[in-house]
Amino acid sequence: MPATTEPRADRLRTSNLCEVKGVSHEFPQPNGQKLRVLDDVTLAVRPGEVVALLGPSGCGKSTILRIIAGLIKPTRGEVFYHGQPLPGLNPGVAIVFQSFALYPWMTVQQNVETVLRAAGRPGGELKGRAEGSIRMVGLSGFEEAYPRELSGGMKQRVGMARGLSVDPEILLMDEPFSHVDALTAESLRAEVLDIWGAQKQRLSSILLVSHDITEVAYMADRIVILAANPGRVRTVVENKLPRPRDYRSQQLLSLVDYLHEIITHSEMPDVPTPAGPQAPSKTYEPLPAALPSEISGLLEYLDARGGKEDVYRIAGDTNREFGQVINVVKAAEMLDLVDTPKRMVVLEPDGKRFVAASPQDRQSLWRQHLLRLRLFKDVFEALKKQPRYEIDRDFVLELIVMNMPQENYERMFETFSHWSRFGDLFVYDEDTEKISIADGLIEEGTKG
Amino acid sequence: MTRAVFGCDPKGSAQVPFREAALNQPFFRRVWGGAIGWMNRSRKLGWTDLIFVLIIVALVVGLWHLAVHWEAPPPKSSQEAVDSISLSPLALPLYTFYSLMRGVIAYALSLLFTLVYGYWAAKDKVAQRVLIPMLDILQSIPVLGFAPLLLLVFVKAFPNHNVGLELAVIISIFTGQAWNMTFSFYQSVRAVPSDMHEAATVYRFNWWQRFKWVELPFSAIGLIWNSMMSFAGGWFVLSVVEALDIGKDEAGNPVHYWSPGIGSYLAKASLSDPWDWQAMVLGVLAMTVMIVALDQLLWRPVVAWAQKFRVEEGGAQEATTSWFLNLLRRSRLVSATLEWLGELLAPRSGRKARAGAAAPVDPTQGSPAMAWVSRGLFVVLVGVMIYGAWCLVQLILQLQAATWGVLLVDAFWTLLRVLASLVIGTLWALPAGLAIGLSPRLSRVLQPVVQVLASFPAPLFFPFVIIGLQAVGVNLDWGSILLMLLGTQWYILFNVIAGAMAVPADLKEAARSYNIKGWQRFKILYFPALFPFLVTGWVTAAGGAWNASIVAEFGHDSHSQVLAARGLGADIMKAADGEPEPGAPGAKGAAASKDANYPYLAASVLVLSLVVIVFNRLVWRRCYLLAETRFSITR
Repeated sequence: MPATTEPRADRLRTSNLCEVKGVSHEFPQPNGQKLRVLDDVTLAVRPGEVVALLGPSGCGKSTILRIIAGLIKPTRGEVFYHGQPLPGLNPGVAIVFQSFALYPWMTVQQNVETVLRAAGRPGGELKGRAEGSIRMVGLSGFEEAYPRELSGGMKQRVGMARGLSVDPEILLMDEPFSHVDALTAESLRAEVLDIWGAQKQRLSSILLVSHDITEVAYMADRIVILAANPGRVRTVVENKLPRPRDYRSQQLLSLVDYLHEIITHSEMPDVPTPAGPQAPSKTYEPLPAALPSEISGLLEYLDARGGKEDVYRIAGDTNREFGQVINVVKAAEMLDLVDTPKRMVVLEPDGKRFVAASPQDRQSLWRQHLLRLRLFKDVFEALKKQPRYEIDRDFVLELIVMNMPQENYERMFETFSHWSRFGDLFVYDEDTEKISIADGLIEEGTKG
Repeated sequence: MTRAVFGCDPKGSAQVPFREAALNQPFFRRVWGGAIGWMNRSRKLGWTDLIFVLIIVALVVGLWHLAVHWEAPPPKSSQEAVDSISLSPLALPLYTFYSLMRGVIAYALSLLFTLVYGYWAAKDKVAQRVLIPMLDILQSIPVLGFAPLLLLVFVKAFPNHNVGLELAVIISIFTGQAWNMTFSFYQSVRAVPSDMHEAATVYRFNWWQRFKWVELPFSAIGLIWNSMMSFAGGWFVLSVVEALDIGKDEAGNPVHYWSPGIGSYLAKASLSDPWDWQAMVLGVLAMTVMIVALDQLLWRPVVAWAQKFRVEEGGAQEATTSWFLNLLRRSRLVSATLEWLGELLAPRSGRKARAGAAAPVDPTQGSPAMAWVSRGLFVVLVGVMIYGAWCLVQLILQLQAATWGVLLVDAFWTLLRVLASLVIGTLWALPAGLAIGLSPRLSRVLQPVVQVLASFPAPLFFPFVIIGLQAVGVNLDWGSILLMLLGTQWYILFNVIAGAMAVPADLKEAARSYNIKGWQRFKILYFPALFPFLVTGWVTAAGGAWNASIVAEFGHDSHSQVLAARGLGADIMKAADGEPEPGAPGAKGAAASKDANYPYLAASVLVLSLVVIVFNRLVWRRCYLLAETRFSITR
C-alpha cells in the first residue's frame, strides 16, 4: 500500500493545471440538425489531484476528456493549459482508452516504443524507457507478447505503460476499467493510485471518466457529477477521505450513498403527476432508451420483492450499470407502471395488473399506456387519417426533432419502434421505411 | 524473428550475441544493422540458405535475359514473332519466367498505385468524390476491351525495341490487377477504428508514422487477399495479351502482336497442324506449376505471416501455417536480409520532438502540405479527364446512328451469353459446391484444387476450344457461352464451397432435429445461407464473363480464317482489326483498312462499359443489398 495519504503537498499550487471554460459542443446529425452534447461546461483540473467525471451515458463525459486532450475543438468556449489558451493538442496529457486502443500487430514493447519514437525521443533511450514503464505497471516479462495474448486487465496495463512512458502531466483515463473484470479492476485502481502517489514522474493529476460510483468514490479527490441531454455540470463533490481508502469503510460507503442520492434526485425528481393518469400528457416527453423486455423484467423483479425496492439494490441485484437501471425505471414511471418516491421504486396498480396479465392482456395494457404519451398519440392520429394507415418514418423523426431538439432522434426512433411493436400498436417495415397500424387495430382505429 | 517490417522495432528482434564488442558499436549497428546478423551463431547455414542463394541467382540471370529481350529490336514481321516462339520444352522455363515477371512487375505497379490512389482517396474529401466513383467504374468494366488499344499505341510509340509491346502487356495486366486492391486499401484506411486514430493523434504520430504503424498494418490482411485475387486476374489478362492478333496485313493474314511467354507458347501450339499435344500439355503444366508455386512459396507464407495483423480478438480461427515460411524463418541468410531491410526502413533516431502544442490532427486528413499536393493533383486529374472525354466525344461523333443501334443489339446478345454462362455455371456448381463444402473431408482435399482452377487463366485453352468447336460444327454464337463458362464457373464453385463451409452448425442441427430434408432443407436453410456467397460468386463470374466475351466471341480457325459471333466482344476485336463499323455507308464488302477503326473501337468499349455499369447498378447492387439485409447470418 502506498505511503501517500494526502493529496501531494508539493503540487498544491493555486493555479489550475488545465481549465475548461464555458464549453459547449454540438455534433452534426445526418439530417443537418445539430445535436448539442455539452452545454456551458466549466471545470478545472488542479495540480496533484484525481478528478472524476461521473454521469450516465450520453452526458458527454468522454467528449469533455477529448476536448481537454485537444482531440476535439469545442463549438464554443475555451480550454486553458497552465493558463494559456490551448490552440491544438494538449502537450501535457496522455490518454488511457476504454477499449485500450493498442495496436494488435505490435508487441507490448513495440506499442510503448512506438509512442516514444513518435514523441521524438532519441533512439538509444527507447528500449530503456519502454522497459521502465512496462516494469512500472507490473508487466515485466511480457515485453514480447502481442496484445491478443493478454487478458483485458493486462491490456489496460499496457495502455497505462504507453501513457506513462511519454511522462504526461495529466493522465486522462476514459472509463479505463469498464472492459476489465471486477477483481482485476480493483487491483488496477490501487496500482494507478500507487503510481500517481509515487513522486517519481512529472505526473501530477489524473482525470478519470467513469460511470461507476464506487470507483470514483475510491479514487477521486473531486467528483464532477454531470447531467445528460445536453451534458452539463450538475454539481461537484469534494472527497476528502484519507488515502489509502478501503472499499468497505463506513465513510466510503456513505459517500457512495450520497452520490447515489444526488444522481437519483436529479434523474428521477419527485414531481407529482400533473393531470390524472388517464389523460394523455400535454407535452412531449423524451423516451428513455429502455427495451420493453427490460421494463417488464423490472416489473417482474419488483413483484417478486413485494412491490418495491431501493433503486441501488436493483442495480446491484441485476448487475446493471446504474445509469441504465435509471433509464428503465424512468421509462416504467413514464408509462405509469411504477412510482419513484425518493430512491424507492414502487409498483403501481397498473404495474401489478401487467405482471398478472396474460401475454395478450399485457399487450393491450401496454398499448393503452403508450397512447397516453403524446408522441404515440400524435402518430396514431396521423395514421388514422392516411388512406392505407401508413406513414413515412420521416414523419416520426420530424415530430421528434421538432418537439425534442435536444434528443438523438435516431436512437429515440428505435425506442419508439421497439415500444410500439411490443404493444402491437404500430408496425415498422425496415425495407420500405414505413410505419403502419398493426392489423388488429385498424378496425378499432377507424371507429375511435 | 523479423517483426521489423513496419519499422516497429528492429532492435528488439536483433537478439544477436556478438562476441566482438566492436560490432555493438552504434556506428556499426547503424550502417550494417541486421546484415551482420548472419554471424548469429544460433542459426546454422543450411540447405535452406543454399536454396535461397540459388533462387537469387536464378532471379538475376532471368532478369538479365528479360532486360536483353526488352532492349532487342522487335521482330521484322508479325510472322517472325510467331516463328521465334520455340515449342521446345527447353524454352518453356524461360517463357514461364517471362510471364511471371510480367505479372510481378504489373503487380508492383498495382501496389504502388493502390497505396497512392487509395491513400489519396481516403484522405482528401474533395478528391474522393471523383476518385471513388471512377474506381468503381474501372473495377467493373471489362479491362480487356482496352488491351488492343494499348497494344497499338505502345507498339507505335517504341518502334525500335520490344519494350513497347512489353509495356503494353504489363499495363494491360496492371489494369486487371489494380482496382480491387485499391478499393480494399481505401476501405481499410477509412475503417481504422477511431480509438486507434485517437491514440495516434494524442501520441503525435506524424502522417508517415500513422501510415506505416496504423493504416498500413490495419489494411494488410485485406490487401493480401486482394493481391491474391489480383494475381489470378492478371494471369487471365496475360494469357490473352501475350498472344493477341490485331488487324490484317496485305496478304490478309492476321497480324500477331505476340510476346514470348506461356500465352504465346500455347497459342503457337494451337496453330500447328495437327496440334502439338506435347507442347500443349507442357504449357498448361507450366502455368499450373507457376500458380501452385506462387501459392505455396509466396501467398501462403505471406498469409501466415500476416496473421499478426488480425484485429479481432481470440484465436478461435484455425491458424494458417506455411511450411515455406517455417523454412525461411530457419534460414540464416533470409532473416539477416530482412533484419537489414527493417533497419533501413526504421526511422532515424534522434529527431527533435516538436515542442509545444500542435494543431489537432483530423485523422481523416493528411498533413497540410499534402493537402496542397492533393489539390494540385486533383486539378490535373480533372483536366485530363475533361480532355479525355472531349477526345472521346470527337471520336464517336463520327459514327452513324445506325451503328449505335447495331452496337446496342450486340450488347444485348453478349449480355444474354453472360447470363447463360452464369445460369449453367450455377446449375452445376451449386449442388457440387454444396456437397463439397458440407463434407469436411472433400472440402479439405478439393478446396485448394478449386482455388488453382479458379486462378487458372481459361483463355489459354480458347484457341483449342474454338478449333474443336468448329470441328464438331458449333458456331461461335453458341460456342462462346462455353468459352465464358470455362473461365467463370470456378468462381461460383469456389464461393459456394466457402458458403457451405460457413453454414452454422446449430442451424444444420436444427434442420436435422426437425426432420427437414431434401428440397425443403435446401430451400429454407442452404439457399438462404449460401445466397450472400452466391452473389459474390455471380458478381466475380459475371465480371470474368464480360472480360472473356472479348476473346470468346472472336477467334481464328486453324487456317487463320476469322470466326466471329454476333456480340459486343466481337465488335471490339473487329474494330481493332480495322473493319468498317456496321451501319456505315458502304460497310458491306468494304475491305478492312490496315489501321484500327478507332471510332468503332471507342464506341464498342464505351457501350460495353456502360452496359456493365448499368447492369451492376440495377442487378448486382440489389442482390448485394438483399444478401446483406435479408440473408446475412451474422447480423
